[in-house]
Amino acid sequence: MTDNRDWVGKHYLVIDDFPGMRMVMCDMLRSLGVKHADQAGNGAEASAMLAKTKYDVVLCDFDLGFGRSGQQVLEEARLLDLVGPSCIWLMVSADRSAESIMGAAEFQPDAYLCKPITENLLLTRLNHVWSKKQVFQEIDAAFSAKDYIKAAKLCDEKIATCKLHALDLLRMKASLLMKSADYAAAQKVYEQILADREYGWAKTGLARIHLHRGDYQAAKLMLQEVLAENANYLDAYDHLALTLEKLGEFAEAEKVLGSAVKLSPNSVLRQLNLGTIALRLGDLSMAEKAFHKCIDVGKNSIRKTPDAYFGLARVCGQKEHVNQALEVLADVQAAFVGEDVSLRAKITEGLVYHEAGDFSKARKTSEEAARMLEAAASKPNIEASLETARLFFAVGVKNTPINLLRDLVRNNHDSEALAIEVQKIFDQAHLGDIGSQLVASSRKEAEELMNHGVLLWKGGKPDEALAWMRNAKAALPSNVRVLFNCAHIMIAKMQEEGFDSALAGEAREILLKADQLSPNHKRFAELMELLQGCRPSDQTQAA
Amino acid sequence: MQEDSPNHPELSILLASCAHDMKNSMNLLNITLENLLSSASVSNTPAYQKMVGMLSETKRLHDNLFQLLALYKEIGSPHFPFDPEAHAIVEFVEEVIARNHILLDAKGIGFDTDYPADLVWCFDDDLVVGLIGHAVNNALHYTRDKVRLAVEQVGEFLEIRVEDNGSGYSREILDAQAAVKAGVDFSNGSTGLGLYFSNEVAKMHKHRGRCGSVNLSNGGVMGGGCFVLRLP
Repeated sequence: MTDNRDWVGKHYLVIDDFPGMRMVMCDMLRSLGVKHADQAGNGAEASAMLAKTKYDVVLCDFDLGFGRSGQQVLEEARLLDLVGPSCIWLMVSADRSAESIMGAAEFQPDAYLCKPITENLLLTRLNHVWSKKQVFQEIDAAFSAKDYIKAAKLCDEKIATCKLHALDLLRMKASLLMKSADYAAAQKVYEQILADREYGWAKTGLARIHLHRGDYQAAKLMLQEVLAENANYLDAYDHLALTLEKLGEFAEAEKVLGSAVKLSPNSVLRQLNLGTIALRLGDLSMAEKAFHKCIDVGKNSIRKTPDAYFGLARVCGQKEHVNQALEVLADVQAAFVGEDVSLRAKITEGLVYHEAGDFSKARKTSEEAARMLEAAASKPNIEASLETARLFFAVGVKNTPINLLRDLVRNNHDSEALAIEVQKIFDQAHLGDIGSQLVASSRKEAEELMNHGVLLWKGGKPDEALAWMRNAKAALPSNVRVLFNCAHIMIAKMQEEGFDSALAGEAREILLKADQLSPNHKRFAELMELLQGCRPSDQTQAA
Repeated sequence: MQEDSPNHPELSILLASCAHDMKNSMNLLNITLENLLSSASVSNTPAYQKMVGMLSETKRLHDNLFQLLALYKEIGSPHFPFDPEAHAIVEFVEEVIARNHILLDAKGIGFDTDYPADLVWCFDDDLVVGLIGHAVNNALHYTRDKVRLAVEQVGEFLEIRVEDNGSGYSREILDAQAAVKAGVDFSNGSTGLGLYFSNEVAKMHKHRGRCGSVNLSNGGVMGGGCFVLRLP
């Protein structure tokens, strides 16, 4: 590893809305000998520049005035891969933010720099961050390639030799184990950390494990303790709200999310969750406020979502402001492109009419939706399918929703939660018996389809097994278990017959699709590790 | 500073934006002065000495603002944004030096450091660097020609000492300690706020039923004032 500590030759980007500050920072860099320092005065400008140039160091003010905040710029840069793991991102702030406490935000800068900043301080900080990056270099690379199991192993190796970063390595290891769904191992690491000191984030990690295991009361207690100590820890609020929802304590969940958005209002996801829960509780004013804010923040965020518009339209519908609802639905189709969005807008329109008591318009709208469904190139996603089924049943249509739900269950035959949700819809439509029959038979069908492929493989017919699984995948493209089994057979074939780059590429695509549908799945981590293992040693796949 | 104050939510936002503005201004002042001082070719002109004085004052301004904001944000309560993490002591010391060396150099004050190379401790670095920076700034006024920063583990505590070779803390300041710790009274002038703030920061650091503390005394290896921060 060459000594990269040549700060002079690197490319810097200074992002600050205060021109005086930009000038001072660039002067400082120049007097350090830096030749390539660019500046941006707002988030939009910054994003454009980040897309054009691969910067080595980014100095970004957290507060950028109107428009995107520093956090949003960072988020976008990471999600779109505008900065790689070797780029140093320093977030400059006048004051601490809730997002920085215990590293709550999903995307963290490499370090925070508190004003006032001087030359020496900047150099000092750059050197510290660089040292840490050296330690984490291989781990970061494995993480980027989504090989979480390998990354966790590397953490173990480094911990032995690196006392200065031991805690960071343990924390990384624990979060990698969580991502691989290895909860038992993650628990051990968090407990090891807590034996030394009561870090709120470690306690929250344990609470998350309780949550995964269904020990909701234990999770609730633990998270409440964390918040009693530190009322600023955003991550604890988010997980507590989730826990309360699982416990059915929706009013409490709403309160918790309400506190969280007070601390950090500019989170698309948090505002969406708050709006959704408020709508469910019938708290229309809170729902409206949260959805509006979600839409507002979304205008500056790569995380923007159409869901807030649909939620807002339903709020308008329940207030019987049908025209307002229709305006919102027009807005969402202008802001987002895609079949799913148009279909969901149409379905929401129908539900709005239905809830406002205009049954004939509701019926008419559902017919339009049915035509859209037929013409669609791909199947709607889970949420859209469920909403569509609800509307159709509500207006008295039977066959379309039944087929839709059958297909949905076949594609997600493993999901207990979905089965329950689907059954609820049938029950509400007074078709409970048909529903339970359908759910059971669809799950059985999917199970048999999948098992046949496994049987073929075990029976020593690898090519037939592969062909069968490819067909199964075509029939059930969103079935995560089918996808994993298909990829597994491909990997097993390569383990026996040797590496095949086309097949490996196909397997990788399938695994990424599965990860998208069902993030943080244990099999994803395991199969990615096996897939990487198939490659000849001179070929490692970057993300 | 995003929580609404109970009666005036707009006041809260106004204050936050004002503080942000003030910090930006001070940042500019600070950087400009430090640049002027470090690039000056001669240091014994009246103008240079005046600039040293100015930098000293901007540092005091900064410390006061920092401490006031901490009080406003309810330091000591769970609502205060407290963020204790593991930090390498070597990095902590480097940061204290980075934040204070120009003034030390400009005043011709020597700065000694003494700490174990691989020691790691859990604390809120923003607060503690601010606190120690404030102590260093104070020491600058009282010392003859040297300031010493020493860090070591003593039993179950981390001890951070800022010592000078001046004539030591006055009787009033040493006596005021007990009152400040009891939260009863504030001495006049900035020492009161600084000491109160230091105590609050120390107390916020808790571990296994113990909490941190600040102690002022005279003596130490240099015979002058000793500012000692203990963290569990």
